Amino acid sequence: MYFAGMDIGSSMTKVVIINDAHEILIRKATPTGARHSLLARKVFDDALSIINLSPDSISYVLATGYGRVNVPFAHRHMSEITCQAAGVHALFPKAKTIIDIGGQDAKGVKLGDGRVIDFIMNDKCAAGTGRFLEVLSDSLDIPLADFGHLSLQAKTAVEINNFCTVFARDELTACISRGRHIHDIIAGVHDAITMRVVNMVNRLKIEPEVVFTAGLATNTGMVRSIENHIGFPVSIPDHPFTTVALGAAILARKIWLKEKGKGNS
Amino acid sequence: MNGYIGIDIGSQNSKGVVIADHSIIAHYTCASGVNHRQTAEKIRAKLLDKTPHIRHIRTAATGCGAKRVAWADDQCSDIQSLARGICFFDNTIRTVVEVGDRFSRVVRLGQGGMVIDFSMNHRCATGAGVFLQVIAKILQLDIGDIGPLSLKSTAAVRFDTGCAVFGETEVITRICEGHRIEDILAGAHHSLAEKIAAMAKGIGLEKKCALAGGGGLNTGLAAAIRKALGIELVIPPRPDIIGALGAAVIAGQKSGHQAKR
Repeated sequence: MYFAGMDIGSSMTKVVIINDAHEILIRKATPTGARHSLLARKVFDDALSIINLSPDSISYVLATGYGRVNVPFAHRHMSEITCQAAGVHALFPKAKTIIDIGGQDAKGVKLGDGRVIDFIMNDKCAAGTGRFLEVLSDSLDIPLADFGHLSLQAKTAVEINNFCTVFARDELTACISRGRHIHDIIAGVHDAITMRVVNMVNRLKIEPEVVFTAGLATNTGMVRSIENHIGFPVSIPDHPFTTVALGAAILARKIWLKEKGKGNS
Repeated sequence: MNGYIGIDIGSQNSKGVVIADHSIIAHYTCASGVNHRQTAEKIRAKLLDKTPHIRHIRTAATGCGAKRVAWADDQCSDIQSLARGICFFDNTIRTVVEVGDRFSRVVRLGQGGMVIDFSMNHRCATGAGVFLQVIAKILQLDIGDIGPLSLKSTAAVRFDTGCAVFGETEVITRICEGHRIEDILAGAHHSLAEKIAAMAKGIGLEKKCALAGGGGLNTGLAAAIRKALGIELVIPPRPDIIGALGAAVIAGQKSGHQAKR
C-alpha cells in the first residue's frame, strides 16, 4: 500500500510517496506552471514511473497547497498548515514552532503533540518572503543560490531602513554606490527578512525546538540570520521544500486507514 | 527686480522655481539622477540663464536631496514648502494632497499656509507614485499614458494585494484572465487613490482641497482620488513644482524678515 501527498505551491509542485511503514519512496519538486491540473498529473506520473509503481497502486492521494483544488485525481484536499504540522512532526517529534518562509509567503505554526495550536501568516506583503530575496537577486544580478555563502562572509551587515521591497531595492543600490561590500549587503537583506518573520512568529511565542522549512531554509545565510536573532539553533529538514507534501502523504495514510476501518466494521 | 529661488531635489525629479514680484517668472525641471549636487547646480544655471534681469537675493532648498544643495541659504521641510507653495497658488486651500514618486502626503493648512496637521506614507510602495510606475513597466506602457488610458475603463479590476511587488504578479494574472488593460490600469489607480484617501480622511478633510506633486499630472489618478475622497480637487497647472515654489516663497519670507531686522 502506498500513499501520495501533493503540494501545489505558487512556485513549485511537490510530490511525496510513502509506503505503509511511513518510509519515503520518493520526493520530487518541479516548477509550477500555469496549468496546475496537467502539471500535477505529470509530476505524479513521473514520480510513479521512477519508483516503478502504477497509479492504481496508490491507495490515497491527498492534495494541499494553494493550487490543491486543481488536482482532479486527489481523494481529498487539506490546508497546507495541517499538512506542514504532520510532516514536521514526523521528522522532528519534539518540534514546537515552525518557521516557514516560501517564495510568496511566510508562516509561523505552533505545535502541540503534532497538532496545530495556532498559526500566523503573511501573504500580503513581499517584504519578509522569498520574493524579497528574488527581487534583490535580480537587481544585484547575483544568483539566489549564491546568497547563502556570500552572506556568511559578511563583516558588518548593512542595516536596511526601508520596510518595503520596492524602496529597499533602491536603498541597496545606494549602499552599493557608497561602496558597501556585497557580502554585507546580502547579509543585511537576510536580516531584514528575519526581522519581519521573527517579529511576526513571535506573536505566537517562538519556543524550541524550532524547525525552519520551505525554500529559504536551504539558504545557509538565512538560517544563520534566524539563529542569531532568536538566540538558539533551528532544525532544518533534509528536504525543506517537501515537508508539506510529506505531511499530506502521512495524512493520506491516516485517513485511508480510518476509512478502511469504518468500511470493515 | 529682486528674485527668490526655490529648489526641490526629489527622489526622481528635481525642480527649480524663481519668483519675483509675487509671481513665478521661471521654472525648470529635470531628472534628479545620482549626483544631487550636480543636479542642483544645473538647475541654478538654467534658472539664472532664464532670468538675466533679476537680482537673485536668496535660495531655499527642499526635497529628499535638500542637504546636497550646500550653497542654498535655507533648507526647508517638504511639508512646509508644500504648504507655502499651494498657498501661493491659492490661499483659500485648506487641504493639500501630494503624490510623489516615493511617498504621498496630506497637509491641512490654516491662514497663510500655516501647517495645522499632516500625515504621510513613505513606508509602502502601494501608497506612492512608484506603484503606478511598477504597473506601467510590467504593462510596457509609458507612465504618461496610463492615466488617460485608465479613464477609458468600463469595468475596473479590483486589486486584491496590498503590495507593489505582488501587484506585478496580479497584473499578469489579470491579463491571463483576459481583462482589458484599461480596466487593470483603472484598478491600479483606484487602489492607490484609496490608500491616499484613507490617509487624508485620517487627518480630516477640509475644503478647498488641492492635488500636488507629480501625481497631479496624471489625469486618471486625479479622477480616482476625487472619487475616493468624494470632493472636488483643485489642481495647479504645474502640480509637480509646488514644492519648489514653496521653497522660493520661504526664501522670500526669510529675506523679508532679515530686511526688517
